[in-house]
Amino acid sequence: MLLTATRSSPLVFVGGKGGVGKTTVASALAYARAAAGQRVLLVSTDPAHNLGHLWERSFGDEALPAVEFDTGGVDALEISPEATVSRHLAAVSATMREILPERMHRQAAAHLELARNAPGSHEAAMLERVADLAQLPGADYDSVVFDTAPTGHTLRLLSLPTQLGHWVDTLIDNRERSERFANALQGLMPAEAPRRSPRSSQLMNTLHTRRERFARLAAALSDRERTAFVAVCVAEPVPVTETIQLADELAAARIRLAATVVNRRTPPALDGDRAAGEAAQVARLASALPTSGMCEIGRQPGPLSGLAFIAGVAQHLG
Amino acid sequence: MQRIARNWRAFRDGLSQFYHGPYRQTLAREQRTEDDFFTLIVLGEALGVPDPAAYYSMELMPFLYRDFHAWHRRMGMPRSPLENVACC
Repeated sequence: MLLTATRSSPLVFVGGKGGVGKTTVASALAYARAAAGQRVLLVSTDPAHNLGHLWERSFGDEALPAVEFDTGGVDALEISPEATVSRHLAAVSATMREILPERMHRQAAAHLELARNAPGSHEAAMLERVADLAQLPGADYDSVVFDTAPTGHTLRLLSLPTQLGHWVDTLIDNRERSERFANALQGLMPAEAPRRSPRSSQLMNTLHTRRERFARLAAALSDRERTAFVAVCVAEPVPVTETIQLADELAAARIRLAATVVNRRTPPALDGDRAAGEAAQVARLASALPTSGMCEIGRQPGPLSGLAFIAGVAQHLG
Repeated sequence: MQRIARNWRAFRDGLSQFYHGPYRQTLAREQRTEDDFFTLIVLGEALGVPDPAAYYSMELMPFLYRDFHAWHRRMGMPRSPLENVACC
């Protein structure tokens, strides 16, 4: 069910409340796609990464192979916001050295260092990487599966491209007005008006590059063909309520909720009362979200990590 | 003859100043207002205004340093408001 519901989407975001099994579902989905012959990149955007724990491997900011099949395979990476911020700072420093006189280098570098720890920097760095990785399907990978942070963080991350798009628009409008005044001034007094420096067009290029990147990501996220969101929960009242709210917020953000996954269902033979309570919650979820598919995964016996466990869960995705 | 030409040119420039001057001042002021607003947004985080886009405004900073001194003077701050940038 989960595989068919998300089949057409090269970008899949797996989200939900903390501790419901997002990493397990994302990994099993990546595994199942790879077993069917795809090259899949599995990416953790949760700052408290646990892909490594689940696969019993150690992953990092660069993609490493997690499992290989005859034709397909899974590579995994855990985004490091610190590393991304460092790379960004290095790039900015390089631009700075190009355009500033040498005596100002030290001051400007000290000032940039402050931005390293500005609130929101890590979040923005995470977004930057997601934007880069979202471009990958079609090139090195057939699809990218994101194992995301708990609901609130993820919704905010997904709404950032639109918000930051407005921010860049404001700045570009401002620069265009400034340039219009400069041009008018030059027309009036050709000899006296100051010439616009090449820096000004470099600045404009930077802003336009940013605008395009935000716009491209926002478009990819709301493209129902390309992006699917999978909401994971367990069959308990609070997680189910949160999933229903998540569905509303995704609809508002125009992101397609392809399927919900109800994880860790109790078999009736094990605990009849509990299983009945869970069934009531599953029914509530199904009636609230009639259009998205639902996939139920039973409580798994044995160790809850390692390749055999992931492959076992992948069997239940259908 | 040359003197007449010189005087004529001076007279013409004077007229041009007389007619264009006010417009030029307005245009220059409007442009400066736009530029100052831009600087304020980009340096917001450093000045203590939380900027959700700090990570992205960082890459615009290099373009501002040269005019930074004139900017903080215009904003009514006689000394540099940034601890690390001692331009004066």
